[in-house]
Amino acid sequence: MGNKQAVFTHEQLEAYQDCTFFTRKEIMRLFYRYQDLAPQLVPLDYTSCPDVKVPYELIGSMPELKDNPFRQRIAQVFSEDGDGHMTLDNFLDMFSVMSEMAPRDLKAYYAFKIYDFNNDDYICAWDLEQTVTKLTRGELSAEEVSLICEKVLDEADGDHDGRLSLEDFQNMILRAPDFLSTFHIRI
Amino acid sequence: MSAYRNSAYEEDPDYPDYSESLNHTQGYLKTSGPLNNSDDPSTRSNPYPAESRTSPDYLESLAEPDYPGSRSNPDYPGTRSHPYSSGTDYPKPLAEPEYIGSQRNPYQPGSSGEPDYSQFQQNPDFPGSKDRGNYTGSRINPDYLDSLGEPDYPGAQENLNSSGPTSNHPGYRRNPEQASPRVKAYIDSLGEPDYPGAESQSNHPHFFGEPDYPGAEDYRNSTDFWGEPDYPGAENGRDYGSSEDPEMARQMLSRTSSIQPSFHHEGVSPLGILGREDVDYPESIEMKSVGMANPYPGAPGNGYVNPAYVGDDGLGPAYGDPPLSGHDWLSSPQGQKLIESLIPMTSRDRIKAIRNQPRTMEEKRNLRKMVDREKSKQSRRILELNCCAQCLNSISLAYRRFKNNLSELLDSISLWQKTLKVIGGKFGTSVLSYFNFLRWLLKFNIFSFIVTFSFIIIPQLTVTQENHLQFTGLEFLTGAGYFTNTVMYYGFYTNSTIRHGNSGASYNMQLAYIFTIGGCLVVCFFSLLFSMARYFRNNFINPHIYSRGIAKLIFCWDFTVTHESAVKLKQKNLSTEVRENLSEIRQENVKLTFNQRFIRFSAHVAAWVVSSGVAIACCAAVYYLAENNLQFLANHSNPGAVLLLPFVVSCINLVVPRFYSMFRLVERYEMPRHEVYTLLIRNIFLKISIIGILCYYWLNIVALNSEECWETLIGQEIYRLLLMDFLFSLADSLLGEFLRRIIGMRLIKSLGLQEFDIARNVLELIYAQTLVWIGTFFCPLLPFIQMITLFIMFYVKNISLMMNFQPPSKAWRASQMMTFFIFLLFFPSFTGVLCTLAITIWRLKPSADCGPFRGLHFFIESIYSWIDTLNKRPSYLWVVWIYQNLIGSVHFFFILTLIVLIITYLYWQITEGRKIMIRLLHEQIINEGKDKMFLIDKLIKLQGMEKKANPTLFTLERRDLEPWGPLHVRQHDAARDLRFRRSFQEDNPKA
Repeated sequence: MGNKQAVFTHEQLEAYQDCTFFTRKEIMRLFYRYQDLAPQLVPLDYTSCPDVKVPYELIGSMPELKDNPFRQRIAQVFSEDGDGHMTLDNFLDMFSVMSEMAPRDLKAYYAFKIYDFNNDDYICAWDLEQTVTKLTRGELSAEEVSLICEKVLDEADGDHDGRLSLEDFQNMILRAPDFLSTFHIRI
Repeated sequence: MSAYRNSAYEEDPDYPDYSESLNHTQGYLKTSGPLNNSDDPSTRSNPYPAESRTSPDYLESLAEPDYPGSRSNPDYPGTRSHPYSSGTDYPKPLAEPEYIGSQRNPYQPGSSGEPDYSQFQQNPDFPGSKDRGNYTGSRINPDYLDSLGEPDYPGAQENLNSSGPTSNHPGYRRNPEQASPRVKAYIDSLGEPDYPGAESQSNHPHFFGEPDYPGAEDYRNSTDFWGEPDYPGAENGRDYGSSEDPEMARQMLSRTSSIQPSFHHEGVSPLGILGREDVDYPESIEMKSVGMANPYPGAPGNGYVNPAYVGDDGLGPAYGDPPLSGHDWLSSPQGQKLIESLIPMTSRDRIKAIRNQPRTMEEKRNLRKMVDREKSKQSRRILELNCCAQCLNSISLAYRRFKNNLSELLDSISLWQKTLKVIGGKFGTSVLSYFNFLRWLLKFNIFSFIVTFSFIIIPQLTVTQENHLQFTGLEFLTGAGYFTNTVMYYGFYTNSTIRHGNSGASYNMQLAYIFTIGGCLVVCFFSLLFSMARYFRNNFINPHIYSRGIAKLIFCWDFTVTHESAVKLKQKNLSTEVRENLSEIRQENVKLTFNQRFIRFSAHVAAWVVSSGVAIACCAAVYYLAENNLQFLANHSNPGAVLLLPFVVSCINLVVPRFYSMFRLVERYEMPRHEVYTLLIRNIFLKISIIGILCYYWLNIVALNSEECWETLIGQEIYRLLLMDFLFSLADSLLGEFLRRIIGMRLIKSLGLQEFDIARNVLELIYAQTLVWIGTFFCPLLPFIQMITLFIMFYVKNISLMMNFQPPSKAWRASQMMTFFIFLLFFPSFTGVLCTLAITIWRLKPSADCGPFRGLHFFIESIYSWIDTLNKRPSYLWVVWIYQNLIGSVHFFFILTLIVLIITYLYWQITEGRKIMIRLLHEQIINEGKDKMFLIDKLIKLQGMEKKANPTLFTLERRDLEPWGPLHVRQHDAARDLRFRRSFQEDNPKA
């Protein structure tokens, strides 16, 4: 408890609680996880809002992320400037979205961003190829990959413009009920 | 709803700006007074020319005829926006007397920073508006500088002088940003160089393509937001309503749209600006974070930031940062709407709405602050007299804190968090769902135990007599002997009224017993019902649309899996599955011959016949065994003889499901899911019919024939069944699965490791839970026993899983299966239990000399006599009334049923209507997509023409871009575009 007071002010904690899906304890736990990533960088006193970023190399080495094929994308999407370096806020944001409590729409929105490799607001064939290669470790032949992309676009592209917009994606996610439980990182 | 989207909109533009830009601006403000003056003379002149030269936009804008139009328009914002966007505007604003103050400043500020200062100075008059003005000014400044590029430096330097480090940052960043949007535009959609407008395009591809400019509208909205920050300053100062902004933007857009050729340029001015601004904000934010954190870890950045925050906070009504941000928001209609919609919400809903915003923490925090402040302001204004409201407020706050603490407490209790994480990490969600189900059942049983323990067992313990039976140890298996005379069984409970001392407080054991069990079942019923409904809502939203689901395979990567080898295995499995799927698609057209189909069909029929035959045979065996059991027991004095029946039943439960799953060798299903469902149906049929036969035996043979305390006999039987089942699955996990691993790994290597059979394991859990529910009436301690067995099972299964199994190779529809499991638990299992207990209570005669109901003809008579006694006491007449008119009345239930039927019918009709609506909307989406493609084609052609006509612009822009084209900036830009878009989408359905 004493620690808690030292790290955050009461208002800060409350704000974090209201802005994430975490309880105070979880926030503290996440903070210590964050702090553990770079103990020499992250101060133990956040009351003055220090502007600290933990580099992607450290974020990506967390056991929760280190074997995730999308870890780089996740870090990029949740970091402010897209380079994967994260502030504590970004860090909390990331795990809040990935938590069990986050609603489907929120999750779908960020999942879309993660799969949108070239950041053009659409999941195009190129993005899909990236996804598939990441998922299958390049075990499929190029022909198979392009066939898959074609099929996916076929299935999910509501307005037939040859790429998936966020709406298409959300619509598809609605039909995949497992998404809620699989787009989830336990901490 | 509006709140939701609003927030989205607002947050993006505003927050970033506030946090950072505000700080910057404040810096400006402080310095502004003297600095400005000094700077003004020299810098102004410089910036203008520089800008015009350097930035292609300006040139364009100048060249464009549209400007006049915009000027002529009475809407200042519109004109202003132009000026902002295009450097060329300067002359205009100057010419116009009104603008000069506000408009010029922003523009010029960009260029020289002087105008800003003037603005700032003006601002002092209008506290709220000033802030904005300043901000806008400051923002603009950096932007302009940036956009102008190096040549502008004179201006930039001025800024630097005045603002110091902050201005520099924004400027620098801005450049890359500006560059990025354009670049994107080129790259992305249209690829056209001319597009100053391209920026807007890049941001929102729709925009161009759509005829009505829905896209444009998006822009508008967005633009409003974005734009507002700029405008607000000026406008507010000018008395312009905030609401004008959107309109202006719209007008602008419509204008632009109408004028096709010029469109790009014009578009550039409003949109481009907006885009830039957008860019700027995020970037500026980044700048702050990056720049401040890294380059100037502590000093300048922090200095800036802190003062701003502090100052604001201190100001209170004047509001420093948050207010500013708030103002911007408020000024934008969406912002206002959002905040308005948030304010009346309960704090819970509000927090939920804020949490659900897809924004960064910073933005959410500011939104929260804003709303809170607004709320407190409002309540102060409106409810000042009403101290009651304040009381309520503080109470609600305290309640919230309390709830947070409580949830924390519950959270710390939550069992096995770490173990579950490991399981999920190694085996994925599907296996995890089994353990979650187990945990869920455990919670159920803990609840039942607490209730029965506190309302039945504790009172009974206070009056308990001494137990004379001998304890041998075999009782643990048989449940008989010593345990017969303990609180474990029905027969031990007293039928008297418990009364301690002379206080007069009495406790009627009969009523306590029936009400506790009844209450327990009712709670179970509702929690089952609600969790079932929740699962259905989440997982069967759109069940009628089923596609082959490659998309689902691709996008439903299991993020819970974190173990390295598991990830590799999963990737391998996924690729095989995808490959299988593809080959299926390729072969889809290959029809089976009649012969093949006939063989397949007959295999199914044969499998069904065999499986039901086996099930029926098992039931018959159990029935005859049970029937002869009493005689058998009479002939054998060995106390272990009672174990025969449970042993046989457990054997059946162990062997037959495995036999069923061997059918898979013969049967071929097109979809693996069908196989799982068939297997489940066969198994549940077997298990439920066995339980049904046993119930029949208990209620019709044991209850009618035996003279002893038959309720206790049934309780013992259920205890034995449960225990035997537990022992069997324990042995199965420890021995069977272990042996299977040895065989798979050492002897027959082709078998490999086995996969965890989720369906069978879940069915075992359901079976045990059914027994527990039936048995609770006869053996109130059963939930406690089940609690212990579940607890042990969790660890045993966990260990066995880690040692003997490999992750499932097929993508498993875990969540839908979970729904199905809970449904099974509800439908045959729980409803069956209710029927059994209803028959027991209404139809059977309690045994004459044991248990709380001894001496009655039926169990339910205890309720009747209770109502009779209440009838004599006038103060309890309402209970009697409720009983007679509601619970005991046929008419009431008749009417209730009718009403429920009508409501169900209505909802069904509504659902049908919605389905039609969904179909229509879907068609509409497809059509709009076609429209869009058509228009984009057209636009590309037009652009091509324009490019030929006007190649110089392109080269200019290019040059501008190149020095600043770092990739990540572009990405970043895109990210915010996405947000932007998203907010619009949220907006749209609601609108």
